Amino acid sequence: METLRHIVGDRHVLTRGSELLVYENDALPGYHQRPSLVVLPGTPEEVVAVVRALYAAGRHWVARGAGTGLSGGALADGVVLLGLHRLKKIISVDPIARLAVVEPGVVNANLTKAATPFGLHYAPDPSSQTACTIGGNVAENAGGPHCLKYGVTLNHVQAATVVLPDGEIVKLAVPSDHDAALDLMGAFVGSEGCFGVALDVTVRLTPNPEGVRTMLADFSSMDDAARATSAIIAAGILPAALELMDAATIAAVEASVYAAGYPTDCAAVLLAEVDGAECGLDDDADAIAALCRECGARDVRTARDAADRARLWQGRKKAFGAMGRVASHLAVQDAVVPRTRLAPILARIAEIGTRHGVHVCNVFHAGDGNLHPNVPYNADDPDENARVHAAMKEIMELCIAEGGTISGEHGVGFDKLPYMEKLFPGDSLDAMCRLRDAFDPLRRANPGKVVPSHACREWIAAPGFNA
Amino acid sequence: MSTILAPTSTAELATIVRESIAVNCALAIQGARTWPLALARASATATPLSLHMISGIVEYVPGDLTLTARAGTTLAEIEAATRANGQWCPLLPWGTDNGTLGATFATATTGPFRAALGAPRDLALGLEFVDGTGATARGGGRVVKNVAGFDLTRLMVGSWGTLGVITEVSIRLRARPAVDQTIAVQCDVDDLTVLARIDAFRRGPYVPLACECIGAAHAMTLGLGEARLLVRVGGNAAFVAESVRRLGELGAVEAHAPELWAHYREHDPYRRHFTDAYATPLAARVKRKFDPHGILNPNVLGEVAS
Repeated sequence: METLRHIVGDRHVLTRGSELLVYENDALPGYHQRPSLVVLPGTPEEVVAVVRALYAAGRHWVARGAGTGLSGGALADGVVLLGLHRLKKIISVDPIARLAVVEPGVVNANLTKAATPFGLHYAPDPSSQTACTIGGNVAENAGGPHCLKYGVTLNHVQAATVVLPDGEIVKLAVPSDHDAALDLMGAFVGSEGCFGVALDVTVRLTPNPEGVRTMLADFSSMDDAARATSAIIAAGILPAALELMDAATIAAVEASVYAAGYPTDCAAVLLAEVDGAECGLDDDADAIAALCRECGARDVRTARDAADRARLWQGRKKAFGAMGRVASHLAVQDAVVPRTRLAPILARIAEIGTRHGVHVCNVFHAGDGNLHPNVPYNADDPDENARVHAAMKEIMELCIAEGGTISGEHGVGFDKLPYMEKLFPGDSLDAMCRLRDAFDPLRRANPGKVVPSHACREWIAAPGFNA
Repeated sequence: MSTILAPTSTAELATIVRESIAVNCALAIQGARTWPLALARASATATPLSLHMISGIVEYVPGDLTLTARAGTTLAEIEAATRANGQWCPLLPWGTDNGTLGATFATATTGPFRAALGAPRDLALGLEFVDGTGATARGGGRVVKNVAGFDLTRLMVGSWGTLGVITEVSIRLRARPAVDQTIAVQCDVDDLTVLARIDAFRRGPYVPLACECIGAAHAMTLGLGEARLLVRVGGNAAFVAESVRRLGELGAVEAHAPELWAHYREHDPYRRHFTDAYATPLAARVKRKFDPHGILNPNVLGEVAS
């Protein structure tokens, strides 16, 4: 610990219980695990020195950005927590090449702010974008509403300098079209802090669209709204975003400071946005409105101006926060299902919720089939706690059985670990463990996350293994 | 060597790999043999292993815009199946449609549509492979968003069969644009002022599907006469009309059939540069984890660092 204090300064090593409290959980309120200490380096050089010191001391550690993760990925149970939020330098913005180089602690929205003077933005837009960091986005392969058209973090990261858990510094980059080379950059994105720490990240910037049309369609049944989503996708229109919220979510949003003027008497609203070149934009917007009406929309309205548009989006982006008014805890799911199966799956989720007596709030990236069935609950009530977890388990098993996956953008972390063996056969999990071992042979980084330890055969075979 | 191994299933392929390990025999992975560069780099003593019998579309749900097919499926088969539903696999890579899905992803081959429509790493949703230990593994899935587990898909795409033999790929499809026009523009593609204007067009907002400067010699073989800017614009009618109007400001425009792109793609303007991919300690560790006996496509991506 003296070594760490020497590297980052006394102020940036936290050991007191009151200081560690902040770092006990991420944005998923259900879990609390206290780190042994928190170290907050301020420069890439300090990060490298800290990682090397931890390696030499044989210590395990967990990297953390802004703590906005929703899978318990940054929980550090009795191990060192490496906070990266002080590394917030935007190193360069190149408007010609449309690239930016940033430190990992740069806040997502601040990168877009820096790119705005050039008519550019950073496209992946998680709802936590005003707080979450690029490093955390890379670790989780974060998504967001506009990833429907623009792609997830993976599609926007070009290169990174990474310090591996043994202290070696490596440069990773997406191979150019001309080169035959490994895409270890692609393998690193979404590795949930298990492969090392990015010291800098080179990301693509996207031109701001010339025009935007944001529409709100409201439906008297969730089934109609889900069918409208499937119809829009099947028609071949590629909206910038296609977001669905159910009555429970609308009620939570409208009762909060984030009220967006969503109709509170409907069963679901669909927030659809098209953007791009002006010519042709109205035709796409009209086609979406017509499909919504064909599927039974009561009303489709278009945002009048930028302020109206921002308000419609605020309700969506702050929906998770608004649920905080309903109960002290929130169970969050992130399953993805085939887009043609949305309507029947949502009906089954409603049935599961009713049967277990839990209050499911659906707010999700409908265009991608990426569901977020969230349940506000009181974790201190053992009966309610048990019912919520039983319902969640059933919902996840349903999504897997329907050919879907357990996480579209939040990551596996700690929370979804039990589902990995339901989703992947043993050989696949073992292959994932081997990939991790290439980056971190001693498994010092983010121990016990993403793939259950007992699924890693080499590790079970190793002397001294205990699960 | 005259023997070509051609398994008909993943299980059979896995058995071949395990037997090859036992007798210490290297394998040279092939699809439709349309990649002479890789074939030339493969070790002469390695036994050819062809994926062409592991073939066919496994699942295609047009409404989901996703498709899963076995590695030996040709791009032509995928083109035919998706065209029937007004969709396409938007890769349209360099080479011909006789190439296979597996080889396209194993080699991460892009094409003139890459900037607008994505590269194999962007379009692969998941895949199945047999690694150099004989284990069969899956990464990703069949839905359009998936971050569950470490990304074996991105690891395999572009690894040229040196870490595993891809047996199946799930891909993202796109709807074909409502209006799809191929335009040749008469302009001096060697003039810097003209190039700057072409670049301004390409950067948007009317982003074309493809925009290629064709030199005089190449234009001749394509039947274009002389040097041209070859552009494909797709979208709804209003978008395409405005795109064509803007192209008209660069020079006289002439319309061509979309088949021209098939000819154009056959001429690969990007000769691949083979790097020593396994020269770094990290990459060498990856290789040893997935192909510890060094039997998959030895030397294709260079020597493995010790």
